[in-house]
Amino acid sequence: MKRLKFKKEKCIGCQLCAQLCSAFKEGEYVPSKARIAIETTYDNGNLKYHDHFCIICGMCAKACPVDAITVTDHIEVDFDKCIGCGACAEKCPKKVVKIRDEKAYICDTCGGDPKCVQMCPQNALTFE
Amino acid sequence: MTQTMLGYQNKVLRIDLTKKGCSFEPLRMDFARKYVGSKGLAIRYMYEELEPGIDPLGPDNKLFLTTGPFTGTPVPCSGKLSIAAKSPATGTMNDCSVGGHVGVRVKYAGYDMIIFEGQLDKPGYVLIDNDKIRFMDAEHLWGKGSHEAEKILADQYGPEYSILSIGPAGENLNIMSCINCDYYRQAGRGGIGAVMGSKNMKAIVIRGTGGVKVNDIEGTTKRLFEILRNDVVNDDNQFIFDDGTTAFLEACNDGGILPVNNFSDTTDEKWTEYNGEVLNSYRQGKRGCGSCGLGCGNFLKIGNAICEGPEYETIAVAGPNAGNRDPEKIVKFNEVCDNMGLDTISCGDTITWAMEMTESGRHDFGIKFGEADKMIEYVEKIAKLEGVGADLALGTKKASEKFGGEDIAMQVKGLEYPQYEPRGSWGMALSYAVSDRGACHMRAYAPNEEVFAASIPPYTPEGKGQMVYNLGEFNAIKFSLCICDFWGTIDYAIMSELLTRVTGVEWTEQDMADVGRRVLNIGRAFNQREGFNRAHDTVPKKIVRDALQNGPAAGQVIPPEAFEDMLNQYYEIMGWNQDGTMPDELVKSLL
Repeated sequence: MKRLKFKKEKCIGCQLCAQLCSAFKEGEYVPSKARIAIETTYDNGNLKYHDHFCIICGMCAKACPVDAITVTDHIEVDFDKCIGCGACAEKCPKKVVKIRDEKAYICDTCGGDPKCVQMCPQNALTFE
Repeated sequence: MTQTMLGYQNKVLRIDLTKKGCSFEPLRMDFARKYVGSKGLAIRYMYEELEPGIDPLGPDNKLFLTTGPFTGTPVPCSGKLSIAAKSPATGTMNDCSVGGHVGVRVKYAGYDMIIFEGQLDKPGYVLIDNDKIRFMDAEHLWGKGSHEAEKILADQYGPEYSILSIGPAGENLNIMSCINCDYYRQAGRGGIGAVMGSKNMKAIVIRGTGGVKVNDIEGTTKRLFEILRNDVVNDDNQFIFDDGTTAFLEACNDGGILPVNNFSDTTDEKWTEYNGEVLNSYRQGKRGCGSCGLGCGNFLKIGNAICEGPEYETIAVAGPNAGNRDPEKIVKFNEVCDNMGLDTISCGDTITWAMEMTESGRHDFGIKFGEADKMIEYVEKIAKLEGVGADLALGTKKASEKFGGEDIAMQVKGLEYPQYEPRGSWGMALSYAVSDRGACHMRAYAPNEEVFAASIPPYTPEGKGQMVYNLGEFNAIKFSLCICDFWGTIDYAIMSELLTRVTGVEWTEQDMADVGRRVLNIGRAFNQREGFNRAHDTVPKKIVRDALQNGPAAGQVIPPEAFEDMLNQYYEIMGWNQDGTMPDELVKSLL
């Protein structure tokens, strides 16, 4: 199964990944609603990488009390079942699940052709 | 009424620091249609709102933070923010461009522009959290280095916030002071930090969680995939990721335009002791700005020195131009300048001028070429106005008026020379002279044509008016779109196509040229109102008097009549009078 992979030595912290994700999922460039968040910051004289992206581990599905999440080669959330309880977000090891308007928004790797990977300028993100 | 365009937020946040209040208003779309965004839009607003003759450090000056229609979108290299105000160094308009992530956050907070007016009654900072504005106390930050202040605020607010801050230099109204962002990015020139300092504003902390809407987002975004792969991340631009601006060192040295010992010579045979290969061997990581595709920033540590960079300008001014070849000391100079909140170019040039003044026996500033440790100590003295630092804090123009040495003060209009020797690239003397904020290399980058591409002979005035105009027009629209300098292969076809796609309004290649020309003119119009004319478009005497001794440009000196010839050419192309003033009808056409 293909998964997103991140090579930090190639990341420039541009956040084009989050802009692209939101463009195709939300219809505007709004990184705060993206299903991926990779950024770099300086802290105490060191460059730190914050890499929040889905690794399709399935922890969210296991935590879901209403079976709204299914895992195949990607993750799907059934909004008819989702009650926005946040159990999935709590268990997500990459802290990438966003709860908004009582629904869970989780990366579906664009059904096998992730747009974030296409726009990653220095190929820090790959899908393999 | 002018048509509203997508890509913009159509919203300006106006903050009154005196009354501690704020208001929201629509963006002047008639201005946006003529000046697009960022640089051009900021200058147009300054022309509209800053009364002639105001004190740059008084309450009537304003600080304009301006984005453009591409800011916050995936248009590559579009994440920069324009910060503009009337300059306390030159008395001209001054627009700076800063990288990092603050530009996209201003836009995501919902604004095309934020205007700061008036002055806080005591040290404070302004917190902008989308549409919530708070005025915070900064007594605990005042007097601290910019890095220390940013760390305190970053720890308090977290990584979702960007921080603009000043160091002690800005607090002390130093005319060479800068504004810092993300620790290592600067709105560097013309004393923009002192404008913030005069407002008692130590920092601006900003978060934006909103978005940007554009026309046909799917089509636009798919087109951006192609442009990114074909035109941005390609072999022509890849050196930016691999080397950053350290790559310019070899090109400038080989081309005879690398300044040595306060522009006394060019070409340094020891350049490999501090070149990109050496510096980048200490690299810890890469960092670009928001929406960047290239990632020029080299974060590195050598010994106890640390910075993102150093950029070519800083390498040259703290290296060969100061008689220093120690890379660790170049990085340390960079770090201390950033933390003190000083522009490395102006501060560096002022110290190298003091070195030449001392060595030539004209005035003893207690520092000579090669004294790199002392140079670093002087940075702190200049920022804190201690001892000799109080004299040097005047900058080269005012210090040379006081102590002599105007002939070797490398400045125009009170802004110090960037690190490109004009005798090896004659067009650069013209570029520095006619730049709207004093000597700046970002207006028209002549070495690209005269030295690197060698598309025009460097040691002649012939064709230089047109060359400087063409380069200036191009950068004026490019920076009004807030596109970074390093997307070198962008052209008017791509600019107009993207602007049409994003805004949903038709823009042609000719429109790009027209906006560029207009931006050059509105800057000049602002300055004319302040009393500037041909008499202020100058070249340091050294450049027109002393021939270079070594390197590829050995024997070169720009004859005064050749410089005047270049000025005449440029004025004619701009449609200005030969005394450097603008015809009234030209000024009216800009408004």
